[in-house]
Amino acid sequence: MIKEGKIGTIEAISISTIFLITKAFYINPGTVIKLMSTAGWYATEISVLGSMLLFLILYLLMKRFPGNDLVGIFDIAAGKFLGKLFSLIFSGFFVYYSGVNIREFVEMIKAYILPYTPPSAIIILFMGIVIAYAYAGLEGIARMGYLSFIVILVGLVIILVLPFPFYDIDNLFPMGGYGIKASLQYGALRSSAYSEVAFLAFIINSLQGTKNFRKAGLISLAFAGIIIGTIILCSLLAFEYPQGSENLSALFQLSRIVYFSRFFQRVETVFIFIWVMASVITVSITFYLAVSIFCKSFKIPKYRPFLLPFAFCTFLVTLLPENISEIVEKHTNFLRSYSMFIVYFIPILVLIIAIIRGKKGVKEKDEEA
Amino acid sequence: MAEKSNALKKLFSYLIYKDKKQVKEFYIPEADEIRKQQDNCKVTRKDTTPPQEQKSKGIKKPVPISGVKQDKNADTQKADDKTISTDITENMKYIKAKFNASVNKDIVLREFMIAEKYKAFIAYIDGMIDKNVVNNYILRPLLNGEKFKGKDEECQLDFILQSVLETNQLKKITKHSDVVFDMLSGNTLLYVNGCNYYISNETKGFPARGVEKPVIEGVIAGAQEAFNESLKTNITLVRKIIKNHNLTTEYIKLGERNQNLCAIMYINGMTNPAIVDEVKRRLKGIDIDINMGDGMIEQLIEDNTFSIVPTILSTERPDRTAAHIVEGRVAIFSDGVPFAKVVPVTLSALIHSPEDAYMRFPYGTLLRWIRLLGMFFATLLPGLYIAITNFHQEMIPTELLIAIAKAKENVPFPTILEVVLMEVSFELIREAGIRIPGIVGNTLGIIGALILGQAAVQANIVSPVLIIVVAITGLGNFAVPNFELALGIRLLRFGFIIFGVLLGFYGIVALVMLLGIYLVSQKSFGVPLLATIAPRTTRSNDLLIRYPIWKQERRPDLLNTLDRSRQPEISRKWTQENPNYSHDRVGEDD
Amino acid sequence: MRKLRLILFFVILVFILTSCTTDRHEVDDQVYTLMIGCDKGIENKVRITIQFPTYKEGGGGGMGKKGGGGSEEGEVSGTLVATIEASSILEGINLLNTSTTRRISFVHTKTIVFSEEMAKEGVRDYLQPIARFREARRIMQIIVCKGTAEDFIKDNKTQIGESLSKAMELAAKQSENSGYFPEVPFQEFYTATISPYRQAFTIYAGLNEFKTIKPLDGENVKKNSPLRTEYNMQPGDIPRTGNRKIEFIGMAVFNGEKMVGSLSSYETRYFLLATGRFKRGIFTIEDKNSPGDAIPFDLRLARMPKTSAHFENGVPVVNVKISVEADLGAIQSRIAYEKVNKINDLNRHLANIIQGGIEKTIRKTQQEWNTDIFGFGKKIAHNFSTVTEFEQYNWLKHYKEAKVNVDVIANVRRTGLMMSSSPIRNNEDTILSKERK
Repeated sequence: MIKEGKIGTIEAISISTIFLITKAFYINPGTVIKLMSTAGWYATEISVLGSMLLFLILYLLMKRFPGNDLVGIFDIAAGKFLGKLFSLIFSGFFVYYSGVNIREFVEMIKAYILPYTPPSAIIILFMGIVIAYAYAGLEGIARMGYLSFIVILVGLVIILVLPFPFYDIDNLFPMGGYGIKASLQYGALRSSAYSEVAFLAFIINSLQGTKNFRKAGLISLAFAGIIIGTIILCSLLAFEYPQGSENLSALFQLSRIVYFSRFFQRVETVFIFIWVMASVITVSITFYLAVSIFCKSFKIPKYRPFLLPFAFCTFLVTLLPENISEIVEKHTNFLRSYSMFIVYFIPILVLIIAIIRGKKGVKEKDEEA
Repeated sequence: MAEKSNALKKLFSYLIYKDKKQVKEFYIPEADEIRKQQDNCKVTRKDTTPPQEQKSKGIKKPVPISGVKQDKNADTQKADDKTISTDITENMKYIKAKFNASVNKDIVLREFMIAEKYKAFIAYIDGMIDKNVVNNYILRPLLNGEKFKGKDEECQLDFILQSVLETNQLKKITKHSDVVFDMLSGNTLLYVNGCNYYISNETKGFPARGVEKPVIEGVIAGAQEAFNESLKTNITLVRKIIKNHNLTTEYIKLGERNQNLCAIMYINGMTNPAIVDEVKRRLKGIDIDINMGDGMIEQLIEDNTFSIVPTILSTERPDRTAAHIVEGRVAIFSDGVPFAKVVPVTLSALIHSPEDAYMRFPYGTLLRWIRLLGMFFATLLPGLYIAITNFHQEMIPTELLIAIAKAKENVPFPTILEVVLMEVSFELIREAGIRIPGIVGNTLGIIGALILGQAAVQANIVSPVLIIVVAITGLGNFAVPNFELALGIRLLRFGFIIFGVLLGFYGIVALVMLLGIYLVSQKSFGVPLLATIAPRTTRSNDLLIRYPIWKQERRPDLLNTLDRSRQPEISRKWTQENPNYSHDRVGEDD
Repeated sequence: MRKLRLILFFVILVFILTSCTTDRHEVDDQVYTLMIGCDKGIENKVRITIQFPTYKEGGGGGMGKKGGGGSEEGEVSGTLVATIEASSILEGINLLNTSTTRRISFVHTKTIVFSEEMAKEGVRDYLQPIARFREARRIMQIIVCKGTAEDFIKDNKTQIGESLSKAMELAAKQSENSGYFPEVPFQEFYTATISPYRQAFTIYAGLNEFKTIKPLDGENVKKNSPLRTEYNMQPGDIPRTGNRKIEFIGMAVFNGEKMVGSLSSYETRYFLLATGRFKRGIFTIEDKNSPGDAIPFDLRLARMPKTSAHFENGVPVVNVKISVEADLGAIQSRIAYEKVNKINDLNRHLANIIQGGIEKTIRKTQQEWNTDIFGFGKKIAHNFSTVTEFEQYNWLKHYKEAKVNVDVIANVRRTGLMMSSSPIRNNEDTILSKERK
């Protein structure tokens, strides 16, 4: 099996949080404001709660089979064939996720900073970095994730604090958004936007225990909820809801309106930094997971030879969408509204199967004792 | 007439074709050729030499003292690489053969009779020993028979060892390989007939530099000593600081041809033995022709040969070495080099300067931050400048932008070319500055840079802002406390320039991220290079902010030292006590 | 690691081969538009005027030759002005590239100017490019000018220093010192045009041809110097002369994307006071105890105005509480207003004047245009629970029905460097006789 090394809880929280919040640097806040207007900033917390609930169900599954990661559990609980199928679905899902994420990133880069650069150049460089990260392995990604997390937090604080002259608390009224029903409905549906946290189940062996798994998952969800909520809140405060829903990237727009004096303005560079960092970490995780899940499910001891073929697949995915509207309406919408049907419901299905078949991770428990 | 005929001859020689005198040209023959030739020689010599030798022996040489009784024990063992013969002639012959004494005139063999009774000889290499010691404290007591009176036992060697020789270090040597090595390192060997061992006397006396001021790691506060080329001195300098009975020095010989002596130093019982083992394993596992000191050792034992940043700390300061040893690291010394290498290190150790610890906490922290800023400039500034001026003009304040554009109006080159031009010339000045002799060198570096920059601006080759950028970059680079790290940063800078010009900020961040994952996966003797940050370990009180010394209670976590605590929670016990002379301050806030 | 290096090398190679750096522009390959002006076109939809600095050297940045013999014709303060007619702003700029030798960049544009004529017809078509186009920054100033934008820009020059961009940014900043005009970044203007809470407004500017000021030695001039406070003026009307023709005064009021009218200088001040944007300014009132004498105050807001809104029988009621502080600048009549009892009088007087002014201004916006530039809608929104209801109510339509109560508290805090003013003596009367009068 692949030797993944150990990562600390704080590192796990860092990468998981980055994984969850990267979407807030893209179109996500705009979409949320469009769906829920002024209610967006707290309705997203509903999504977090929903995701926490589903995550706890996942935790039940993991607790049932201690010492196994999700791929192993699929095999044990659902049988060799079905288990492999599930694993492959996840592997494919993560390839798709990386691809769409890269494409979204590239569209943003092109829209804001490099409008005339051929996208393939941006993608190839990005893929290069991602391959390097996946090559370094989970430990490297986690360590870099922790470092980036600090930078990202500092950058976020700078970007969110500096435009305060534009903030007007009255922009949050009327508080109800499009009504409680709409808020709840979209809030629950968009639990998918926080479903990525389930990836921790695949690296649970590096986390040193299911307790840490639960801790890392819940804390990072809470973090992500606070951060994304704040970003949406600040976007509303500065732009009011009609313009808030127009913006391609709320954060970038916020960083562009900073104006203090003739000298202190135009700080969007800070944003480019944290933007690329977050995207690199996120895509590295998904890409690494895609490869490692594939290798784990077929019990291939070395994952590195698969990096290039998978990178090619990912590259193909990035070419799928034809234009930015397709990305926004089809792909990211799918990821952020319906991905939980894959990410959460397959494990839950497996849990149900396990309960019905009465499977339990007994062997490992004996070993532990 | 003779002159005339000569001139005539010369005249003719111009007219007539004459075979030119053949000039033999030297060439270096192949090794096989040489070997073949030698074999031929041996064959011929074998045929011819023996009678000659006998002749010459018979005629020229007076019979040596040792030759007197030679025939009596004819069945003595022959001296070879493994065994030391009990016969003095054999041993002399062996040493002569080993050192090619017939041509190699540095070898001195001095035969004499100890107390007019025992045949003996001393052997040493001329120039490597202290003649004073050999004359006064070895030869004189041995030749002087007084001490031997009343001692008539057959083998007096133990007696000689204990009571006669007046040198400070003596040891018996029972292997010929050690004999050779000891002689090579400047010891004087004494052999007394009938023994199967030598006595090695410590008489090293080759010229060495004194202890001087550090050259590349100068500080304002703190000790001003630096290592020199003598291994013993260097080790002593460290020992002088760490007066601890557990401080251990182990020696390892390195280099097939030059047998350079290396030493590793650590505190036994505190340093993690695994680190010591690993250092020894790697050192012993080196099979190399010549070892020119720890600069070469570093390259042979480091984890990754292609690493951009050094993974071994090199220092010329005994105090810094001592501080690291006490933290639980291992220091590697090598004879002939005024540097010590410290392993394992983290990046933070590379960017700390010994001064940090000597200065008071606020000053030390300030200096450290300034240094970090310098590193940032040195690495990124030219890259950022290119990215901003080529991709993100909106970042420059309008007035400055227009000023830059005005200044650039007559400059025919693109910014990238200007930057590369200036960077390269700056590097040139720096490299040349080292080699420019004497006093001129120091001033020329600065003046050269100034003049070059000024002239380049006036000649419309580069824009003035760029000069500032390059100058700040250079200054930042000099602020990096570790020379090797500074070199790595110089390399990286060009990387950032390339990525900056290709893709602007995106490229720069991309390279930062690549560099990040690279550094994060680097290890120095099992310790991740970025340890204490990534992977995260217990918080270090000496990373970016240098906390007060009494707050640094633990040794670096990642070294897994056997004794974790550096000092008790309360180091300043006096704060807990009342002063001897004290009065209560009534009504004042404490 | 070797593989990593290989990949790196490969990536760099690809980049060099594809020469992906199509986004790279040297600083001096571009010109940076400082100001864009939009007029109604004659041949085409819009007439665009842009102003950009030249890169001609003043020699190391010291003394520049500006406006002097060395400069080109049409060069204004080291800048060039170009005008073109086109179908849209962006294409217009593109068309200008046919004649301008360098790429025109928007990244440093400080100001966009609409002519009044155009603003009245609606600026919808011209907001989009700025909001959507990546180069244009939303922190640029937006100005509506009287007359044509083309003339306006031609007169946009700097006399004090060399840097026009600095002059432009500082000119807009003068709003803080006087309060005669608001400071409106594009961001705010654009948000307001699509906002359900409020309507847009912006700086109103114009060119002063120095004709309103009559020459002192002219004929038929009576110099009786009447006191006129609340000098309500439009751009171009200030009686002044000087070098810079451009003046910012008052503000243009928009209904949606169309300009519907303008507020004059003092109305602007009242507006700024009511919305809490007023920083400081000299505010002159007439001494009610001594008509004809003025009392200038250094006025500022004591705290942000408190606005609240609620519905009474379906009628929106807005309460605005404003608290201003003032320092005495002068008392021309030399009446001892510094005394405690008199200073309260003065406070009340000042408060009344400001309250009246604000109420008048609000009424003007309600009755003349029905546009809520004050942003009362944000407070009205507190009374709705969902956006759907709020949008159905459509505050912007109901603004004119709102009852607005303004409550002003004024407080003269300091009296400058004098605690009292002694009367001025002359050779006629004694002080006592004067007081008796």
